[in-house]
Amino acid sequence: MGLAFQTDLGLDARLRHRAAIEIRGLRKRYGAQEVLRGVTLTVERGEKIVLCGPSGSGKSTLIRCINGLERHDGGTIAVNGVDLDADGRGVQDVRREVGMVFQHFNLFPHMTILENCTFAPRHALGLSPAKAAERAMHHLARVRIADQAGKYPAQLSGGQQQRVAIARALCMDPKIMLFDEPTSALDPEMVSEVLQVMEELAAQGMTMLCVTHEMGFARHVADRCVFLDHGEIVEQADAERFFAAPESERLRAFLNQMLR
Amino acid sequence: MGLLAYGADGYGDELLAGAWVTVQLAVFAYALAAVLGTLMAILTLKPRGVRWAVGRVYASVATGVPSLLVIFLLYYGGTEIVHALLVPFGVDERPSISPFWAAVAALAFVYTPYLADLLRGAIHNVPKGQLEAAEALSVPRRQIWLGVLLPQALRIAYPGFVNIWVVLLKDTALVSLAGLTDLIAAAKVASGSTREPFLFYGVVVVFFVLFAAATIRLANRHARRLDRGVRPSEA
Amino acid sequence: MSFDFALAWDSMPALLNGAWMTVLITASVMAVGAVLGFGMCLVRMSRNRVLAAVGAAYVAVFRGAPSIVLLYLVYAGLPQLSIVRDTPLWVLFASPLFCAILGLGLNHSAYVVEILRGALSAVPPGPVEAALALGLSPRLVFLKVRLPIAVRYGLKAYQNEVLIFLKSTVAVGAVTIADLTGAANEIFSMTYDPFTPLVTAGAMYWAMTNSLRLAFEALDRRLNRHLAAGVPDSRPATARRADPGSALFRRLRRSPAKPAE
Ligand SMILES: Nc1ncnc2c1ncn2[C@@H]1O[C@H](COP(=O)(O)OP(=O)(O)OP(=O)(O)O)[C@@H](O)[C@H]1O
Ligand SMILES: [Mg+2]
Repeated sequence: MGLAFQTDLGLDARLRHRAAIEIRGLRKRYGAQEVLRGVTLTVERGEKIVLCGPSGSGKSTLIRCINGLERHDGGTIAVNGVDLDADGRGVQDVRREVGMVFQHFNLFPHMTILENCTFAPRHALGLSPAKAAERAMHHLARVRIADQAGKYPAQLSGGQQQRVAIARALCMDPKIMLFDEPTSALDPEMVSEVLQVMEELAAQGMTMLCVTHEMGFARHVADRCVFLDHGEIVEQADAERFFAAPESERLRAFLNQMLR
Repeated sequence: MGLLAYGADGYGDELLAGAWVTVQLAVFAYALAAVLGTLMAILTLKPRGVRWAVGRVYASVATGVPSLLVIFLLYYGGTEIVHALLVPFGVDERPSISPFWAAVAALAFVYTPYLADLLRGAIHNVPKGQLEAAEALSVPRRQIWLGVLLPQALRIAYPGFVNIWVVLLKDTALVSLAGLTDLIAAAKVASGSTREPFLFYGVVVVFFVLFAAATIRLANRHARRLDRGVRPSEA
Repeated sequence: MSFDFALAWDSMPALLNGAWMTVLITASVMAVGAVLGFGMCLVRMSRNRVLAAVGAAYVAVFRGAPSIVLLYLVYAGLPQLSIVRDTPLWVLFASPLFCAILGLGLNHSAYVVEILRGALSAVPPGPVEAALALGLSPRLVFLKVRLPIAVRYGLKAYQNEVLIFLKSTVAVGAVTIADLTGAANEIFSMTYDPFTPLVTAGAMYWAMTNSLRLAFEALDRRLNRHLAAGVPDSRPATARRADPGSALFRRLRRSPAKPAE
């Protein structure tokens, strides 16, 4: 568990130390349906976590609660020490710390690639257009798409669009990145270009929480794999154990189905 | 409310007579436009050739000018136009054109291309396979049109037809400017002499909103009957 | 039945005067309709039940009533209210031009409400959520992401509405304003030649509607340049159709026959 090394710190340090994300007893319901049933999860700074689980298990809901796109009904979420209470205060502070990448890219269709990347820094951080553009070009170069800056999203392939979406999030200098199935809407030949960018990001020390079923990525990158089923965390372990020696029956069944 | 009474004291009878003119006008104009629109759709089915070009010019003119202008033109100039049309047939007459029929003709002139466009689109949307099936069964051409193509095209174009009805109904309100004593004209007279514009124009607004709503309901019920057996699973 | 070119030439100044009035009214009504329509759209889409109902009633009445009736109501009705009669507002309502612009503006704005509402609800949630996730304020997200996308979706329907209401400005004759139709009528009553003035006026209307259409199409191309050739167009079908001949029935989709979605 990621919390283990905390015991080495002195009391003072422990008070100062806050995890990147601390979720306790998180509950969320849609009407009568309980989608998250008491999820407790801590993500340490710099930690990379892969979240997986069957369709409808609540992965997207969990991710979306973390940056306030969904309001939770119970439990607590703290991001970098900022509490995100159920009535939505703290949301804006949290969102500036947390970048999010969606399954369907969600680029702004009416803006060029560059404008997509400069929009939030200019309006949420108050950067000058020149400063924002400079920052955008830096991150676009990082995801190897700087040469397309003048194009519109619809003129790019899915893989390219997803890399732009990553760059757009990075332009806000987030401390944490959330990914919700970033490669599952892509044609197979484009998956690797996006995964590669994500791996580089991980190597540079970004805190990452990824919903993905890319096992290669999980093995390479994840410090911890978390299995969510029916709104509960059923099992979590390092990647090696997670795939090779799953303890619970439900995870075994899930992995069997995935590998088939 | 005594002002809306029937008879000499109130304006109920005048308003009713005006409403009757409005309804007749809308119904006649729409019926004529539907007939002419169907003909036009069939004549301009293929998007090329002289007929199509003439159709486009006509549609461009009819959709590019206000219907009131056409109403004026037919009202003032209708006699001359009819005369000019009759002369080649050796008839040298100048029939007088009533404002009512001038308005009917003008509205039909303006709305025919809209209905034709709708219907032409619908005809093109009737699945090709059915035509081929009918031809393979050596059904005569006329029967293919009357029995297969038009009924289905009408069903497809139905919602658009209903919408045009509503717009045409509202457009009839302009005829009072050409001197027809329709509902608007009646309300104007009544509100002028009683100084109760809110009451009488309010009645007119209610009439138009409710009459449109009522005809739409009727049409929707009819549409469901048309759809019977076509999409049995859907409402 | 003949066209008298000399008369047409002589009538030009009077007709152009009328045409100018038509253009002036059209432009003013577009401005009024945009402001009122945007405001009432927010009311119509309000989460507050009462406000939403007020917005719905606004649309039902002002869209369902023929614009000539609204003109009479504003021109003859409102001055009877003491709030108008006994205040400086009286000056405004004594002006037929003001009444005409307000009356037509009420009608036009009701259509704008429904066009904008349809377009706003057609905007996919994805880009909006992405903007929120970047930490932008909801107000900014609405103004810079949702609204611009909605404007692109609704432009075609708005174009059709504007073209139709341009033609419906003829109703201003009811409140004694001499617009293009009024000018043509005036010339008829002096010369008893129905064809020359009316056909000339018709040609002017035709030129107006078609230049406006071309302007809208240019704007559409400009706003939608992000939809490059060969790229699938993901806008709703209503935003995509461009056949000018079938302009009306696209507007009609939104008229009362199909209760607003
Ligand atoms: N806005 C919503 N309204 C009602 N129910 C919802 C809503 N969003 C999600 N749900 C329900 O919540 C449950 C969890 O959804 P969620 O999207 O979190 O699943 P997921 O694990 O991300 O699945 P997938 O792998 O298919 O993306 C599902 O049963 C879904 O139907
Ligand atoms: Mg999901």
